[in-house]
Amino acid sequence: MRAIDRHAWTNRWRDWHPAEKLLPAFGLLLMALLLPPLTTAPLIVVVAGSALVWGAGVPARALLVFVAPPAAFLLLGAPFLALSLDLSAGPTLRFSPGGVALALSSTLRALAALSCLALVALTTPVADWASLLRRAGVPAGIIELLLLMYRLVFSFAERALTGQRAQAARLGYSRFGRGLRSFGLLAGNLFQRGLTKARALEIGLTARGYRGELPVLRAARPLCRSRLATAMLGVGLTGLAGGWLGRALS
Amino acid sequence: MSVSLLAARGLDYRYPGGITALRDLHLTVRQGRKLAILGANGSGKTTLLLHLNGTLRPARGEIRLDDHPAAYDRRSLDRWRCRVGLVLQEPDDQIFAATVEQDVSFGPLNLGLSEREVRERVASALRALHIADLAARATHSLSFGQKKRVAIAGVLAMRPELLVLDEPTAGLDGQGVAHLLEALQHLHEAGATLVFSTHDVELAYAWADDIALFHEGTVLGQGEALAVLRDREMMRKARLAPPLLLEVVEALDGARGDSPPRARAEVLDLLRKRLKGAPLAS
Repeated sequence: MRAIDRHAWTNRWRDWHPAEKLLPAFGLLLMALLLPPLTTAPLIVVVAGSALVWGAGVPARALLVFVAPPAAFLLLGAPFLALSLDLSAGPTLRFSPGGVALALSSTLRALAALSCLALVALTTPVADWASLLRRAGVPAGIIELLLLMYRLVFSFAERALTGQRAQAARLGYSRFGRGLRSFGLLAGNLFQRGLTKARALEIGLTARGYRGELPVLRAARPLCRSRLATAMLGVGLTGLAGGWLGRALS
Repeated sequence: MSVSLLAARGLDYRYPGGITALRDLHLTVRQGRKLAILGANGSGKTTLLLHLNGTLRPARGEIRLDDHPAAYDRRSLDRWRCRVGLVLQEPDDQIFAATVEQDVSFGPLNLGLSEREVRERVASALRALHIADLAARATHSLSFGQKKRVAIAGVLAMRPELLVLDEPTAGLDGQGVAHLLEALQHLHEAGATLVFSTHDVELAYAWADDIALFHEGTVLGQGEALAVLRDREMMRKARLAPPLLLEVVEALDGARGDSPPRARAEVLDLLRKRLKGAPLAS
């Protein structure tokens, strides 16, 4: 999670208006869902991947690390989609032609959608798409909660890690039983600490005029129309190419 | 004698659970001064600071603002907190937004200022603390010292008359302390009144105009920094050793000068001069 966040904050497209990244990614996602996946989906994976690596300057390794766990999950699940259970002559399990096509197309579609997600997650920090959500009319309370959670997740993770290290230094995890006990103690301690910290944060915010809302400035980033138009053109071309290839191959 | 901006008169406060935190506490904050609240750790300094912006309300006694008793209704508290800015010891207790610029904008936006004015204030607060280059950074990626400055900038952007800082130098390394004090000195020269709590007698000697000696929930005595630090009886009561620099100067001069050197470099100069005159062996 830290790595994703770091790339979101430091990539070459960091200072672009969030819509310039979200709209093309959303466009690609739509194509992945609507167009025939056999040709379009691999194309989308390639386009999104190259945009990330050569465009935004996100290391290919980071992209792989992001994509690997869900992709592994997808690939493991795919064979089971291809199987069909036949009960007519006693229960038999076999690959059906329809099943194989289904497994292939849904896996490809999911991979394409995953690369669209990577395109957003690795280039756009939470703070940016929050401001876009606000403009899209999502209630302020929900966005504030989202941002506050985003901020606190990091201090919480840090606390948990430090606590766990301190316990391990005193042999708290040297045996399985001890480990369980230490983990329970740590969880209890973090919970209590969370309450204390929440109170402290309230004091800190009240001192700065908190009245139940958390207004902050939105970053002043002008929307670059030509950049957005170019990106959308790329998305359109990807769709056309996918559709054309699909027709040519069938 | 400068004007009293804020004063505490006979404060009593108990924590829920009955432990006495403050008892019959008197304190005067004079306009345009740097006041150190000097006392050992765990003596209740933070509890006192939380009274200075109305976060806690005393069981007995009162806080006076411009010599009027402070009121605790919503609107009075808002006005109070516009005038008295509080910076907590732990910056993570105060920073909540995703980016530095956003976090610093929170206070000014709560003042109901226009976006242009808010941007202007955020920029000048970041400049004052020499962190303009951090504006677009994620708050969770900052170092402790950087977070500390962001927390101060967040309060500073509200342009309070009085800035209250809880242990501002705690957790900072030597260079971090030097940078922070330099920034605070600029603010002070621009007219801000400063109150800070500390357990560090050297810091109080080097930097404070006035000192309130704090011990077990009360102020033993308050006055010009030098007078307080030279009051051996009172210092002993507060369980504090006098600052080393002051002791060195007094050992050299034996004098009770009105303005002994306070900076390390000055004291070292003095020491060198004396050593030339009289070899160590004598």
